[in-house]
Amino acid sequence: MRVLAIVVAALAAVSCPRPAAAYPQYQLSSDKTCTSCHLAPDGGGILTENGVNTAEATAWHPGDGNFMYGMAKPSWLELGGDVRGAAGYVNSGVSAAAGYPMQAEVAASAHWNGFSLHATGGLRRPQEDGSALHALWSREHYLMWQSRPDDHEGLYVRVGRLMPTFGLRLAEHVVYTQRYGGEPLYGEVYALAASYVTEAFEVHASGFVHDPIASAQEHGDGGALYAELRLGDHAAIGAEAKYAASDDAHRTYGGMTGKLYLPGPAVLVLAEAEVIHESFVPGGDRVTQLAGYALASHPLGGGFLLDLGAGHFTEDTRVQGLFRDCLDANLHWFQTSHVEWLLTTRLELLDLGSHQSGGYVLAQIHYRL
Amino acid sequence: MAAMSCLALVFAIVLAACGTPDSRPATVEVVALEILAPSCGQVQCHSTTTNQSGYAFDTLAAAKVSLRSLVGTGGGDRHSLLEVLTSTGDKRMPPDAPLDDDDIALVEAWIHAGAQGL
Repeated sequence: MRVLAIVVAALAAVSCPRPAAAYPQYQLSSDKTCTSCHLAPDGGGILTENGVNTAEATAWHPGDGNFMYGMAKPSWLELGGDVRGAAGYVNSGVSAAAGYPMQAEVAASAHWNGFSLHATGGLRRPQEDGSALHALWSREHYLMWQSRPDDHEGLYVRVGRLMPTFGLRLAEHVVYTQRYGGEPLYGEVYALAASYVTEAFEVHASGFVHDPIASAQEHGDGGALYAELRLGDHAAIGAEAKYAASDDAHRTYGGMTGKLYLPGPAVLVLAEAEVIHESFVPGGDRVTQLAGYALASHPLGGGFLLDLGAGHFTEDTRVQGLFRDCLDANLHWFQTSHVEWLLTTRLELLDLGSHQSGGYVLAQIHYRL
Repeated sequence: MAAMSCLALVFAIVLAACGTPDSRPATVEVVALEILAPSCGQVQCHSTTTNQSGYAFDTLAAAKVSLRSLVGTGGGDRHSLLEVLTSTGDKRMPPDAPLDDDDIALVEAWIHAGAQGL
């Protein structure tokens, strides 16, 4: 299996990354906080010991779920990494075969008492006609202090390049509430962020400035807030807000999230609804947009997990019929605790199908180092 | 949660029925920031980060530079932008999700009005 890891990593060396985020499909079914499974207070990235155990418990043939199957490393160092790629058919009005190298990244976290230094880096799509070195970058790097370093609760303070905590953080970046709703792919910024996480509730606040060098997707400066309150053992509601001001536009995001786990049928439902207000600096045009997404997940046994999702995005509320909806179906197969196969499909309807429609069928492989 | 889902559905249906026929101003700001930036200016595509094919649409300044060469004011083919937005072949853009007819019509109206603002 180590040979497979090296081969996959080598193939990905010619690719570009798209970051893997968290799998909130697991939240509330056994653990309530992201920190139960991840080092970061808002999930994603390197797994904790409990996260590795969960990966092993979820997989068909788990094997050793630790980094590189238990490779020896110092006790003060945690390591991780992700390699992803997808291929299939897309339809944007015209059907075409497509292949997407998505991600080739490694992550490291060195910790000492309550302090830790995190860095995630790898490859991204190179700039056309630019230096090959442009393809190498660090998507995240930050210093973190946590009040209770041996626990998954408490206060976390981070400073550095990171994604401000805001709304649901699903692995699929094409989810409308992420793509259009203030948490786009490569939306990392330089931020000072504080998170207070407990089993009962969590609050995250970030103040940020955009990255003027790496030219990420977020071009504005501002702040983000997210708060989530757990209702009993299997439900939670959340509220979110974000403001970003750039040379082009002032954008304000507000919304709510909801999470409900139904132990009987073992179904987790996640939902998010957002209102987005844009004010273009040049011209003064004002636009209000709406984004929503709901996802239901159910483990099928044998390492399979089925997601069914539905999304809505109104591009401009001033214009009748200027919206799109999507229906998603994703079948994950966690073959081992390191290898995930994913069949992801989307039917996208513009103006409820009265005009164009689109979609995709993609097979994806994800290898976690 | 059921109530929240119903509320969201009602919200979407009501808003789908609201609004008026497209009255947006056909300006470079609307074309660049409302239409092209979210659809074409994604970071892995035509952004200032990757600059695929020499075009970037993720900021207004970058979009103006790209549009000058795409709609004629920079010496390019006046219709090349519309051609890729409406192509029935493998040149179709964006390749991952369809662009709304209303958006294409607004881009066309802006170009036919002389692509003001570049």
